[in-house]
Amino acid sequence: MSILSLEGVGKRFAGLRVIDGISFEVTERSITSIVGPNGAGKSTLFNIISGYLKPTEGRVAFRGETITGLAPYHICRRGIARAFQISKPFPELSLRENVLVAANFGRAGERDVDTVTHQALDICNLRPVAAQQARTLSIGNLRRLEIARAIAARPLLLLADEPCAGLNDTETRELSEVLLRIRDSGITVLLVEHDLKAVRSVSDRVIVIEAGRQIADGTADEVFADQAVIDAYLGVPMT
Amino acid sequence: MMGAFNKRITGWEWLGAAAVLILLVLLPFVASSFQLRLAQQVLLFGGVALAWSLLGGFTQYWSFGHAAFFGLGAFTAGLLAQALGHGISGPVKLLLGLALAALINFAVAAVMAMPVLRLRGTYFAIAMLALAQVLGEVSKTFDIFQGSMGFVLQRIAVPGLNSVQTFYLLFLLFAVANVAIFVWVKRSRIGMGLTCVGQDEDTAAMLGIPTERYKLLAFVLSAVLTSIGGVLYAYSLAFITTDTVFRIDISLNLILFSMVGGLGTVAGPFIGAAIMIFITQVVLGGLLHLHFLVTGAILVFIVIAAPTGIIGLRNRLPGLARRATGSEART
Repeated sequence: MSILSLEGVGKRFAGLRVIDGISFEVTERSITSIVGPNGAGKSTLFNIISGYLKPTEGRVAFRGETITGLAPYHICRRGIARAFQISKPFPELSLRENVLVAANFGRAGERDVDTVTHQALDICNLRPVAAQQARTLSIGNLRRLEIARAIAARPLLLLADEPCAGLNDTETRELSEVLLRIRDSGITVLLVEHDLKAVRSVSDRVIVIEAGRQIADGTADEVFADQAVIDAYLGVPMT
Repeated sequence: MMGAFNKRITGWEWLGAAAVLILLVLLPFVASSFQLRLAQQVLLFGGVALAWSLLGGFTQYWSFGHAAFFGLGAFTAGLLAQALGHGISGPVKLLLGLALAALINFAVAAVMAMPVLRLRGTYFAIAMLALAQVLGEVSKTFDIFQGSMGFVLQRIAVPGLNSVQTFYLLFLLFAVANVAIFVWVKRSRIGMGLTCVGQDEDTAAMLGIPTERYKLLAFVLSAVLTSIGGVLYAYSLAFITTDTVFRIDISLNLILFSMVGGLGTVAGPFIGAAIMIFITQVVLGGLLHLHFLVTGAILVFIVIAAPTGIIGLRNRLPGLARRATGSEART
C-alpha cells in the first residue's frame, strides 16, 4: 500500500527547472532510495516533500491527503520526519535533549516522551553518549543523532538525506543496519544516498533521477544494470 | 545558554529564593531613600530585561527597540489618566492604566509581529529599533499625544509608606511576576520550542515545533510585560515626556543587563542591572559624561571574557582555574 505519492511534481527557480514532472509512489514499510548525480534535484525533492519548498507544479500526497505547500511543522505532525544531509543539531543541548525535543513535538498524539526518546537512542546506539553536548559529537554520532531525532518524532515516513556522507566503511555498515532496523520497526524510509553499496544493501526499490527527471525505477539490481543509468550516473556497470 | 529541560527546582533553590524575597521586602524599612531608588531601578529594569529575554534570550531575536512598548505603556497610562480627570483616585487610574496598556500593547505587538517576525538577525533588530523611533516621533509630533510637553501623573503612596517605598514594592511585585512567568515559560513545552528556535529555527520547524506561533506568543508576552514596566515607571516619575520613555538607551540597557548577568537566565538580568546601575550611578555618579564610555568598555569585556555573562562564569570558572594552575596540561 502506498504511503506517499508524488504526481507531476516540478520546481523552477526563476528560469531554472530543477525538478521536472516527478511522479512515483512509496510503498509502506519499505526502503526506497533516490539516487542520481549531484545537482539532480534529490535534496530539492526532499525539501518539497518536507514542506521547506513549495513545488511550482504537481501534487504531494501523504496517506491519501494532499500536503503540498503545508508548513514543515504541519507535515512533521502528520508523520513525515527528516534527517538532514548536513547535521543540524541544537548545539547547546545534549544529545538526549535533542532527541527529547523531537519526541515532544513530532507526530501528534499521546506518547510517553521518555520511552520514545530512549527507544530512539537505543535504535541508533547512542545511549552511551546521550549526555554529551551536541556540539562536541563526532561526525558519525551526529549522523546517528539526525536519524534518532527524526525517528523520535514517531514518523510513519522517514526522509533520510545522505546519512552515510562522510562516514567510513564500518560506520556506513552500522548506519545501514540502523536503517533496516527502522524499516523493520514499521517506519517507511525514503533515502537519498550517494553510497551505492549502502543503497544496494538496504533498498527495496531504487529511483534514479537526473537533471530533475526520473530516468529509472526498480530494484537495485535492475536500475544499476540499466544502460540509461550507467550513461547518466554510474559511468561503468556496478560490480 | 539554556539547556536542561524539565530541570527540577531543588529545595535549596526554593529556600534561597524565599530568603532573597524576604530581604527584598524588608529593604524599604532599612535602606535610605537613595539606596531604595537604586534598588527600584534594579527591580524595574531587571524585570523589563527579563521580559525582553522572553524573546531575545530564548529565540535569539534581539529587539533593539523594546522602548517602543515601554513608552507606549507609559503614554497609554498618562493619556488615560488625563482623560479620566481628577474625579478618580490615583491607584484606580494606575490599575486602569495597567489594563489598557496591556491591551493596547497586546494589539500593537500582535499586528507588528506579522511583518517583523519574518525578519531575522540584524534585520529584525533594525526593524524594532525603527519601531521605537517611529512611535517616539509620533508621540512628539501629534499634539494629541503631548510627547514634547509631557504630562503629570498623580503621586501614589500606600498609607504608612512614602512614594519611593510604595513604588519599590510595586517594582518588586512586577519583578516577582516576571520571574514567575519566565520560569513557567522556560519549564514548559513552549520554552523548549522557543529554545530550539533560538538554536536553529528551520530544524525546529522540521521537528514539528510551531515556530511562528511560539515566536508570536513570546513577542506579544514580552511586549505586554514591558509595557506594564512602562506604566509603573511613568507613575513612579509622576511626569513623563517622549524623552523619558522612548529612549534608545532603555532598549540598549535591556540587552546589556541580560548579557552582563547571563542571557536567557532568570537571575541574569537582575544581576546585570545591579552591576551596571551600581557602576554608573554610584561609582560614576558625578561623571555622567563617562557613562557611555564605561558601559561600552564593560560590554566589550563581557563579550570577550564572559560571553555567557556572570552566571555563565560559574560553569566556566573550574576550567579557567584548572588552566591557570596548569593542572589541565598535566592531565
